[in-house]
Amino acid sequence: MALVFWIFIIPLIASGVLFCFPRRTLAVLMSLIPLMMLVWLATDAVGSSISYNWMPSIGVHFSLRMDSISLLFVYLVAVIIPITLLIVEIAPLILALTLVLQALLFGFFTARDLALFTFFWEAMLIPLFLMMNISGGEKRKKAAMKFLIYMIAGSCLMIAAVLGLYFAVGTFSLDSLSTQSGNIFYAKWILAIFLLAFAVKTPLFPFHGWLPDAYYEASTAGTILLAALLSKAGIYGVYRIGIEIFPTILREWSPMLLAIAIAGVFYGALTAWSQKDFKRLIAYSSLSHVNFILVGLFVWNEAAHSGAILQAINHGITITALFLVVGWLAERLHFTEIGPVSGLAHFLPYLCWLTIFFVMASVALPGTNNFVGELLIFFGVFKENPWLAAFLSLMIILSAMYMLRWVQDVYFEEPSFFQQSWVDISAKEFVIALPLVILILWIGLYPAPILKLIEMRG
Amino acid sequence: MSNFQAIDFFALLPFMIVLVTAIALLLVETFAEAFSKQYASWMTLAALIAAFIASMIAPESHQELLTPWIRFDALARFFTQFFLLIGIATTLLSSSFFQRFDASHGEYFFLQLSAIFGLMLIGASADFLTLFLGIETLSISLYVLCGYMKSWRFSSEAALKYFLMGSLAAAILVYGVALIYGATGTTSFADMSKGQQGILLYSGIALVALGLAFEAAIVPFQLWAPDVYDGASTPVTAFMAVGTKAGAFAAFIRVFLGAFPHISFWHEGIAFFAYPTLIYANIVALRQFQLRRFFAYSGISHAGFLLIPLVAGTPQAIPAMLFYLIVYAAATLGSFAVLSFLDERSEGVLLSDLSGLFKTSPYLAGTLSLCLLTLAGIPPSVGFFAKLYIFQVAFQAGYYSLVVVGLLTTIISAYYYMRIIAIMMSSEVSETKPLYTRPSIIVSALSAAIILLLTCYPEPILNIVEAMQ
Repeated sequence: MALVFWIFIIPLIASGVLFCFPRRTLAVLMSLIPLMMLVWLATDAVGSSISYNWMPSIGVHFSLRMDSISLLFVYLVAVIIPITLLIVEIAPLILALTLVLQALLFGFFTARDLALFTFFWEAMLIPLFLMMNISGGEKRKKAAMKFLIYMIAGSCLMIAAVLGLYFAVGTFSLDSLSTQSGNIFYAKWILAIFLLAFAVKTPLFPFHGWLPDAYYEASTAGTILLAALLSKAGIYGVYRIGIEIFPTILREWSPMLLAIAIAGVFYGALTAWSQKDFKRLIAYSSLSHVNFILVGLFVWNEAAHSGAILQAINHGITITALFLVVGWLAERLHFTEIGPVSGLAHFLPYLCWLTIFFVMASVALPGTNNFVGELLIFFGVFKENPWLAAFLSLMIILSAMYMLRWVQDVYFEEPSFFQQSWVDISAKEFVIALPLVILILWIGLYPAPILKLIEMRG
Repeated sequence: MSNFQAIDFFALLPFMIVLVTAIALLLVETFAEAFSKQYASWMTLAALIAAFIASMIAPESHQELLTPWIRFDALARFFTQFFLLIGIATTLLSSSFFQRFDASHGEYFFLQLSAIFGLMLIGASADFLTLFLGIETLSISLYVLCGYMKSWRFSSEAALKYFLMGSLAAAILVYGVALIYGATGTTSFADMSKGQQGILLYSGIALVALGLAFEAAIVPFQLWAPDVYDGASTPVTAFMAVGTKAGAFAAFIRVFLGAFPHISFWHEGIAFFAYPTLIYANIVALRQFQLRRFFAYSGISHAGFLLIPLVAGTPQAIPAMLFYLIVYAAATLGSFAVLSFLDERSEGVLLSDLSGLFKTSPYLAGTLSLCLLTLAGIPPSVGFFAKLYIFQVAFQAGYYSLVVVGLLTTIISAYYYMRIIAIMMSSEVSETKPLYTRPSIIVSALSAAIILLLTCYPEPILNIVEAMQ
């Protein structure tokens, strides 16, 4: 049996075990198995595939295949899930649900059948919806329902688009679809429906209505899953369906889509700047950054596309790191407002340094991962339109402004009175953050292996 | 005319087993009440299982003696087995119900077996008269079953309502049959294509459609369903939600896809019902807090989905409908099985009773969530593929607007099904204590197993329904 099958089925089995015996160590160990298999096989994993005629009468094949782009996203999932398992609040079902989500995401990022792609696309909502219901802030139920309805409303018409493609080409296979998409009737409508679904999930401005509440009300682990992994499903969808199946139409629409995405970049950045709450601030900064990734995908340029894919991975790592340190800070403060306390560097020096490191990565300081990705996107945009690149670079300044202002307000300035709960991070917490630090520096200083993988596409 | 042969006997065997046991139960109840109280459910169960085995053995028969009235083709066998399985599940739920509520037994199971006999007759009918006979046998038994809990406040009201509306529908149906007879000179499905077409035949078909729409609780003939489901006891409601619904669609398949495939005007006519059914049922279901009533509206909305392939009327319509019926039946029976654990009052289970069920009983809550996900058609459950199949059939036949309306209403349905799951996850625990009874455990475990099996390995069932084209 192929690797793609094992990494899909092992988390599913593990979730069954965890449903009966919910133990954190067990969960983490089992969630690491796919990662170890991936590392063991290294680049041999590319090309691993499985195809089974699942439902012959409907034409659905259980068809998974790993290509270089899939591999990158699969790695991201394999790294982020164990980290969230380490910090997730222990409540019944949560561990099992996280493992189910891992399986569904692995399936989604390797699916080569359009019906299966849609199946995983919608299926991944359910574990997240349930997790948001179980743990998080006071208004979590409302936020969870809003999230679910937004998502389903965004993607319900996708079934019609999928069927449209099916009857135009006669197959659900993504490989055949990408070669025979030239003569599809209503192709523009079909692509528009797909883009709507991807826009809601990523989310692209102005389809982000669910984001502030969902990110804010979810627990730290839930927010990380939403921001680091779920948003990548939308970006991956734009790449797989938009760029691979409908390249000509997407190119034609490029200016309009670019305008929306750029508006999103600045909307996210400016809203983040005006926030009085640091969890919301990070949420809006995430919105700004994912829209920047979409800018990279919508610019019709090889370098920008490579940059966007790299940046998708980078954003996954950085946003996990940021929500992690924000979650730890909130645990100690018992609130997430900016203002009531300051000078925390005095009491929490290690957390402060860790936060500053991750903030630097987020504002794309040279030597960190985001620098490489953003540079590639800027490079691509510059080639197409230098003025646009100049305008976009304002976003970097803005992100430095709102991020550093937050760090300054909370960690520096006049120290507040010490409180009992202000304990610096423990060794265990530091170990949880360590893999992220390593990844940020590794991609920042030696991005060649990943760039090589990205170049292997198509 | 040929003589009665062994093959006819075998073909009729499942019907005879059910009928003879039903009558035997009535006699037992009359002469040995204590025995009946203890063993009636077992006898019913044994009869249904024996009938199921008999229907597996029975060969397809095209003998002339019976075929003018009853057909023994693959579709009939499928329906017979499907209805028998539904019967087995409801018998188990009923016996679990009687462990909670005290009521006499023998005639209850007599009525239930008669209802199942009626359903089997519908599925195997080859003539409007046998079809009508089946529908009436089913309905009359159900009128009594609805009012069976005599002491419950709403039961008699529900039964009377159902009886009045049902007789009206039966009258309309018979009137339609009479008009069709007038136009074609026959009531046999096989000879329908021979008669001349005209306004007489068309109005006959329209009236038959109205009569069947009542049975399937399709908008605007749905008004009886919520009150009747609400007033009847939970196992009877489960039987109506699954059995009557499936029976009505068996009749739709027999009449429209079996007898009138050559006439095209009814496609648009049925589409005219499908839109309001989908929209109305899904919107009203948003506001339901009593679960029997909730499942009435959920059932109406699924009837709307089942109409979609019927409108398309292509050869693939039958497998798509049958697959959807199987999935719907498994999920609905599973939900009712879970409800039967919590059913302690005549008002039935309220939404608030489910609060915190994930804490008190994760297995019950897990099963119910699985069933609700399947009903909502959200992956990862087979409900998604059942819906996909239906939309595929409609898309291929060119009914795009029906596909779009169907998809948009699934957003609403996702809300009300997922809301129940959210309530089960809440941290406040309701005071309802589940009462574990063996029959309900069997039904809920089997439904969950069937749903999981259909999700992972649907090929065998898909092959069976494929053969019905």
